[in-house]
Amino acid sequence: MNRKGLLISPELCIGCRGCQTACKSWNRLPATRTVNKGTTENPPDLTPSLYNKIRYVEMPLASGLRWLFVSQRCMHCGDAGCMKICPAPGALFRTKEGAVAFNKEKCIGCKLCVAGCPFNVPRYDENDKISKCHLCSDRIAEGLSPACAKVCPTGAIFYGDRVSLTGKAQNAGYKKLYGESDLEGLGVLYAFKDAPEVYGMDGKPAIPESVVFWHKVLKPLAYWGLGGAVAASLLHYVTFGPNKDGGDEGGEQK
Amino acid sequence: MTKMVRKANAFEILNHWVSVISFFILAVSGFGFLFHLEQLNSIFGDFNRMKVVHNWTGVAFAVSVLFKIFMYLPESLSLSADDLGWFIKGGGYFSRNAVVPPQGRLNAGQKLFALFVVFAGSAISASGLVIWLMPGVRKWILISHLVHNISFDLMIIAVPLHIYLATLANPGTFRIMIYGTVPLEWAKKRHAKWVQKMGY
Repeated sequence: MNRKGLLISPELCIGCRGCQTACKSWNRLPATRTVNKGTTENPPDLTPSLYNKIRYVEMPLASGLRWLFVSQRCMHCGDAGCMKICPAPGALFRTKEGAVAFNKEKCIGCKLCVAGCPFNVPRYDENDKISKCHLCSDRIAEGLSPACAKVCPTGAIFYGDRVSLTGKAQNAGYKKLYGESDLEGLGVLYAFKDAPEVYGMDGKPAIPESVVFWHKVLKPLAYWGLGGAVAASLLHYVTFGPNKDGGDEGGEQK
Repeated sequence: MTKMVRKANAFEILNHWVSVISFFILAVSGFGFLFHLEQLNSIFGDFNRMKVVHNWTGVAFAVSVLFKIFMYLPESLSLSADDLGWFIKGGGYFSRNAVVPPQGRLNAGQKLFALFVVFAGSAISASGLVIWLMPGVRKWILISHLVHNISFDLMIIAVPLHIYLATLANPGTFRIMIYGTVPLEWAKKRHAKWVQKMGY
């Protein structure tokens, strides 16, 4: 199956947040009471019951204001830091469409994925279980588009085969997409007019170096080290032999 | 009858067994978390339960390490020229007729291992507690995750060597873990300075 993905075009977004509502509706996530902080952005951040949200970037210009609306959610990384660091098999898994989905029953609530994620996405519900966008894995498995893309009135969130999304963006005049190659390609691609930082995105997203080092060096060292230490002990026993000098059960006095 | 001398008291023996059993459980479940060993579900039930067992066994291990600090740290830090000589000779383990300098109650290698256990044991316990009790605090979790895994790797290498040296490599040593005593003649050859200090 072709890897699926979303193409996010902030220039098309009108900030209606229909995607937020549709997501809550499909995933049966409760609404949360929030506080007016003087911006139309609401809620202020992802929560266990808010899988996707529109970030409102207000850029003051010489005259007036530039409003940027950016869909913020799990990026479904090709090389996912959360999956790499997760100690519980099956808690986070890759669907055949390429989405990073989760199984709350397998989640052990350790929250290591929070540390492994380059985008600060995973949230935990009241039972200490992971909660995040799963690209509506139950919908896309049936050939439907994710709720957010389905409801988006302007095509700012567009769902399709990941390869076709690149072509679509190129036709719209975007030479390079955010997320094309980082982390073995993100499942959520962004058509940005300016530098990613302008939209509040990390220009160089990466899995924390310590997690990569752990994965590449410390993990193999655990079994090579154990095996090596046992092998070295046995080798010593058959070559130099035990120190029987004075041993009460060895008996052989040199 | 062979004259015996006491090398470890009852509390030391008990504390060491707490370390042995807890380390074994922690290492097995730790490997389970590292490599997603679902076969372990037949022992622990599921990964949620394995996490609970791992965390609370870690508390028992941490307490045993805490006692080790008081039991071995001062002695292990008092290094002499004889300890250096012991290391230069490789503890006598790499030649059939090596003679090593006389040693105290703990020989130089045992001092080194005690220091290692106290430091690596403290590091793995402290980092484990941080991962357990400060979940989601990204910076702390990343550091602790690294420290926890580095100390685990060092321990999973050092502990098999320690077990080998205390059993097969040195016949007569393992009984200390059960009875706490060793034959005087055995002690004279391996811990001459200690025996001398006791007045034999």
